[in-house]
Amino acid sequence: MPAAGGEVAPTRHDFEFHGRGGEFFRIWIVNLALSLLTMGIYSAWAKVRTQRYLYGNTYVGGHSLDYDASPWRILVGRVIAVSALLGYSLSVSFWPETIGLWYVAFGVLIPWLINSSLRFTARNSSYRNIRFNFGGTYAGALVNYVIWPILGYGTLFLLMPQARRARDFYYVNKHAYAGKPFETNFPAFRIYVAYIGGVAVFLALIFASFLAIGYLAEYVKSAKVLDASYAGFLIFPLYAIAYTVSLTFIDIMAFNLSLNNAKFDGRHELRSRVSPWCMAWIVVSNFVLILLTVGLFYPWARVRQSRYQTERLSLIVYGDLDAYTYELSRANSAIGEEVAGFFDLGIGL
Amino acid sequence: MSVEGRYFYPHSARFVAARCTRPQKRLLRFESVQGEALGEFRARKVRISERLGNIPRRFRLPDGAMFETVDNDGADEMLRGTGRGPGAIDRVERSWKWVLVSVAVTLGATYGFVTFGIPALASALAAATPDDIVVEISHKSLQSIDGSLLKPSRLDAGDKARAERAFARLLRLEPDPGRFHLLFRSAPAMGPNAFAMPDGEIVVTDEIFPLVKSDTEIEGVFAHEMSHVNHRHGLQRIYQASLVPAAIAVATGDASQLGHMTALVPGVLLQSAYSRAFEQQADDDAAEMLRRDGQNPGALADLLQRMDEKVCGKAGCRPSWIASHPATGERVEKLRAAGKQHK
Repeated sequence: MPAAGGEVAPTRHDFEFHGRGGEFFRIWIVNLALSLLTMGIYSAWAKVRTQRYLYGNTYVGGHSLDYDASPWRILVGRVIAVSALLGYSLSVSFWPETIGLWYVAFGVLIPWLINSSLRFTARNSSYRNIRFNFGGTYAGALVNYVIWPILGYGTLFLLMPQARRARDFYYVNKHAYAGKPFETNFPAFRIYVAYIGGVAVFLALIFASFLAIGYLAEYVKSAKVLDASYAGFLIFPLYAIAYTVSLTFIDIMAFNLSLNNAKFDGRHELRSRVSPWCMAWIVVSNFVLILLTVGLFYPWARVRQSRYQTERLSLIVYGDLDAYTYELSRANSAIGEEVAGFFDLGIGL
Repeated sequence: MSVEGRYFYPHSARFVAARCTRPQKRLLRFESVQGEALGEFRARKVRISERLGNIPRRFRLPDGAMFETVDNDGADEMLRGTGRGPGAIDRVERSWKWVLVSVAVTLGATYGFVTFGIPALASALAAATPDDIVVEISHKSLQSIDGSLLKPSRLDAGDKARAERAFARLLRLEPDPGRFHLLFRSAPAMGPNAFAMPDGEIVVTDEIFPLVKSDTEIEGVFAHEMSHVNHRHGLQRIYQASLVPAAIAVATGDASQLGHMTALVPGVLLQSAYSRAFEQQADDDAAEMLRRDGQNPGALADLLQRMDEKVCGKAGCRPSWIASHPATGERVEKLRAAGKQHK
């Protein structure tokens, strides 16, 4: 252990990803086949195998992460989530006026769902024999996942970057490893820069799309190969691309900000050099390849994205990590995680 | 027989290079590579992770210590006979033969569920839906467009009488004629059209009448809509709309952004494919009804073609993958074929 105030030379450990597309394909397709044959029951086991594969292939400092959740608890959560989803869509189809009730119920449950979800994932994730933990509170989740976004929409997105920053702070700062906290902090103007950049990217892409469509329509008309209005159909995929690229841009900028300003236990640091452009290219090209292969490319896409994002991360260790020990705490339920996962509450950095 | 790895001290991130041996059938012993004893446990008390790809195998020991090894083959060899060896799932995943079987099962099950499962489920649910709910949905949907999309009809008495005559002819052939009601509306925004509410209200727009040349043509339109009502196609559509995303979520268990994006496209294509099947069925039923009434089903084809020209010009509308109706050319051909049988 370094003496207080003593100078310790930092060691940089780059993250590595050892997963391979072909290997993950076999795991994924067997998962899918068994999930279909068991009417979805096996999907809980499939989820654990998928997570274990992705975690187990993520290495830093010569050790891999581990995911150790019980499929049975995930299954219970999934049954509840599917029932709720069916109940919701049927009741909203037949009695549209019940939609308000569902939103109220959902709003009240959301903070609890988010916390259980994050806690379940954290507590089932470990590194070097020590589990992570998440210590969020109902009030904290309510403020950061419900009230802040409402303020963001209410101010016509003027406060949305602030809301994002608050949420990311909550996410990072409530996580702990070996009972020691993660902390991140950065000034608000930096997240505004990321959002303004994202909006600029969107506008530039839309402008470029219109130019391209204009030229194409002109060309098609003069060549008389097709009806010129066909060129107009291109606006939908081009819009989708502009939207995805700018959203990925903002997500990655925010991700980098949170990680580059994060400290663990007050001294160890994280570095993230994920390029928003490379990530946007990976996301868009993966999407196209998945569509062209009727989904069969999905495992390669997942591995490709995980490899790129993982290998742009580093851990800067001051001293070493040997002295960390695990503190015991009580178990919790998987229901929150699965319900939240199903409705895609957008948890995570 | 021993397996090399790392031993993490109880509840600690501190580790030593270590090995695991099996001195007796039911016993696992852990010692550092220098030979220092680290612990000895009954094999069934040790929680050993299942083999998966090439990720490290982890032995969680009852005292909070952990032994970890990347020597998956060695671990399987050592654990042979303890029932803790390679799992059945792992063997399936590592065999290309079983992987091919899985691809076939996945594609086959998906195809079967999509072509038979979802339509059968939606049809059964629609049939089981109580009548008062159907009536309520119908009233609400009609209310929501009455006054905005639909305006009061300004049809002249001749056309109106003609439509009512055709409608009455069909009611004679219906086993449950009481459920059907004919409503006239003007819909400048919609153009020539007719549609049915699930409870049996059939709306016809004024704009269709300038295109109608004979009573049989309008009778064909009503027969088509009555078929939608009889099969509860509108309700089935609601059920399909809930079943498709639920099925995708259950099958993939993936709620990530990637999952959402990729589910969107097949979701839209599926809904339109189901809808085209309903239209086909309604056309077939309409042809049958006209035949039973002693009329030529080809009349409906003539009207369809004229509607198509009115909306899309002489060349007709373009066929589209995402269209909710089959291409008009296709429908016209089928109806004309039915008409030929009639003669």
